[in-house]
Amino acid sequence: MLSFIIKRLLHMIPILLGVSLITFFLMALTPGDYFTQLSMNPQISPEKLAQLRAEQHLDKPWYIRYLYWLKDAAHGNLGYSAAYKASVSDLITSRLWNTFLLSFAATLLAWCVAVPLGIWAAVQKDSWVDRLCSLIAFVGLSIPDVLLALLALMFAAATGLFPVGGAQSSLYDLMSPGEQIWDRLHHLILPTIVLAASELAGIMRQMRSNMLDALRSEFVTTARAKGIPEGWVIYKHVLRNAINPLLTIFGYSLAGLLSGAFIVENIMAWPGLGRLTMEALSAKDYPLVVAGVVMAAALLVIGNFIADLLLAWSDPRIRLK
Amino acid sequence: MPLLEIKNLKLDFIAGDKSLRAVDDVSITINAGETVCLVGESGCGKSVTALSIARLVPTPPARYVGGEILLNGRDVLKMSKTDLRGIRGGVVSYIFQDPSASLNPVFRIGNQIKESLKLHRPEKATDEEVIRLLKLVGIPAPESRIKDYPHQMSGGMQQRVMIAMALASEPKLLVADEPTTALDVTIQAQILDLLLDLKKRMGMSILLITHNLGIVGDMADRVAVMYAGQVVEMSPALDLLRRPLHPYTKALMNSVPKLSSNLQRLSAIPGNVPTLGNFPSGCRFYPRCPSAQPECANTMPQLVEVEPNRWVRCLYAKSL
Ligand SMILES: Nc1ncnc2c1ncn2[C@@H]1O[C@H](COP(=O)(O)OP(=O)(O)O)[C@@H](O)[C@H]1O
Ligand SMILES: [Mg+2]
Repeated sequence: MLSFIIKRLLHMIPILLGVSLITFFLMALTPGDYFTQLSMNPQISPEKLAQLRAEQHLDKPWYIRYLYWLKDAAHGNLGYSAAYKASVSDLITSRLWNTFLLSFAATLLAWCVAVPLGIWAAVQKDSWVDRLCSLIAFVGLSIPDVLLALLALMFAAATGLFPVGGAQSSLYDLMSPGEQIWDRLHHLILPTIVLAASELAGIMRQMRSNMLDALRSEFVTTARAKGIPEGWVIYKHVLRNAINPLLTIFGYSLAGLLSGAFIVENIMAWPGLGRLTMEALSAKDYPLVVAGVVMAAALLVIGNFIADLLLAWSDPRIRLK
Repeated sequence: MPLLEIKNLKLDFIAGDKSLRAVDDVSITINAGETVCLVGESGCGKSVTALSIARLVPTPPARYVGGEILLNGRDVLKMSKTDLRGIRGGVVSYIFQDPSASLNPVFRIGNQIKESLKLHRPEKATDEEVIRLLKLVGIPAPESRIKDYPHQMSGGMQQRVMIAMALASEPKLLVADEPTTALDVTIQAQILDLLLDLKKRMGMSILLITHNLGIVGDMADRVAVMYAGQVVEMSPALDLLRRPLHPYTKALMNSVPKLSSNLQRLSAIPGNVPTLGNFPSGCRFYPRCPSAQPECANTMPQLVEVEPNRWVRCLYAKSL
C-alpha cells in the first residue's frame, strides 16, 4: 500500500512539470506582458522598465525563463506578482483556501444528497420517487453553470435573502466572531448550490444505475438465499459494490468541480483561485497565471489520487494488484 | 411426509402486458436424505423451479399463478417474509453455477460464511466454526484462507466456499444449480465427489440440477426430466438410465458424451428448444420427437404413473 502511494505521488511530478511548461509556452505566444501597459506611463523611465523586466527574466527567451522558474519553485518560491505587489505564494494561499472551501462545500452537498437519492430511486425503481429524481437529474444536467449562477444572483437580488456575490460583507471586520461565521456561511450558500447542482445530478444518476446493476448480480441472490433481511442485503451487499465505480468518478468530478468553480467564482464574485487566475491573465501577470494553473492542475491530480486511494480501500481486487 | 413437495407449480414472467408461463404444472417431491436430479436443456425452467423452493424468483417480473410448495408441510408461497427468511438457509440452502459471481467480491470469504452462521446458528458464529466448515469442504490451510477475498481463489475453491456457506446453516435440503458447469473438467468430478461425501456425512437431501445426464447415475436416487417448463419424466435413476420412457429422455441420453464410445460427435437433439411464449400446443416436444403421432399436435399429455414410481408425460408412453 505504501509503495502504491509513493508511486502515485511520483507520478504527479511529470504531470505538473508538463503543465507548467505548456503554460510558459502558451504565454510566450501571446504578445506583451504586464510591463507593456506600464510603458504608456510617462512617469516610469525606460531604464526602470528594463530593470523590472530583467528582474522577472522577461528579457530572456521563454524556456530560459522556465528554467529560472523551476529553480525558484523547487525552493518554494513561486515569484512576485507585479500587479498585486505581493508574493505569489501569499496570494495563492488565501485564494486557494476560498476555492477549497467552495469546492468542499459543493462536493459535500452533492454527495450527501445524490447518493441517498440514487439509492432510493434504484430501490423504488419506476415509483414516483424515481421519476422525481430523474426529473431533478435532467434539470441539473441541462442548465449550464453560467445560467444557474446568473439565476442565483437574480434570485438573491430580487428577494434579498442572500448576499449578491462576494465571500463576506464589507462590515466583516467589525463583526463578532459568531456573526463572522454566519456571514461567511451566508455568502457560501448560493455559490455552493450552483456549483453542486450539475455534480449532484450526475452522481445521482450514476448511483442509481450502479445500484440497479449491483441488484441484478448473482451475489444478491446468494445473499437473499442465506436468509438475510432485504435491508441488510441492500445496505451491505449491494451498496458496497455500487459505490466502488462511483469512487473512480470522484477524481473526474473534482475536475468538473474546478472548472465549474472557475465559472461560479467569476460570475458570483467569489474570491477564489479561478477568479484570481482570470484577473492575472487579463493583467498579463505571468508568475501569478503560472502558479494559478499549476495549482489547479495539482488539485486535479490530487483529486485523482484521493479517488484511487478510496477505490483501493474499498475494492480488494485493486488493492492487491 | 416428504421433505419437499412441489405440487402443480405454475409461474409466469410478466413482459409488458403479456405473461409467459415459464413453469407449467410442475410437481416434484424430495424425501429426507434423498438426492434428486433435475435434468433438461438450458432454458427449460430448472433454475426458476429450484429458486421457487425458497421463493427467490423476484416478483415482479415473475408471478406465482398456482400450485403449492410444501417444505416440511408448510406452503412456502403463503409464508410471511419473516418465516421465509427462516427457511432460506435454515431449511434449504443454495449453491449456483458460477461461484465467482455468486460470492460477493468485496467481502472476505470468512465474513460471508459467518453471515450465514449469525443468521441461523448465532452461538456458533466464530472463526473456529468457519475454519471447521472450510476444512469440511476440503480447503487446504483454512486458517490462512479465512481472510481471502473470493478473487484470490480458483473456481473450484470458490465453489467449495459456496458449499461451506450453504452448509453453515445446517440445511435439510441443498439445492445445487449446475454447480460444476462453470468449472474445469477435472474439478467437476472433485466437486461432485465432495457433494456425495458430504451428503453421506450430514444426511441432507440434495436437489442437483444439471443438463448432463452423464452424472446422474453416480449421484441421483431419482431423476426429474424437464422440457419447456414441464416435467416430462420422473423415475428412479437406475430405471431411467436403463430404460428411458419419454422420447425426450431417450434423445437426451443419446446426446450424453460417453467416454467408452469411439464416437466423437454427439447426436444433438435435432430442432430447437422452443422459447418462452412459443411452446407448441399439444405435446411440447412433438415437433422434435422422432416417434410423434398426429394426435400429439392436439392433445397435451398429462404426467401419469405408467409403471410403479415412473411418471411420464407422453400419450404413447406405454406403446413406445
Ligand atoms: N428474471 C426473468 N425474467 C424473464 N424471464 C426469465 C427470468 N428468469 C428466467 N426467465 C425465463 O424463464 C425460462 C426458464 O429459465 P431458467 O429456469 O433459468 O432455465 P434453466 O433450465 O436453464 O435453468 C427461460 O426461458 C428464461 O428466459
Ligand atoms: Mg439454470
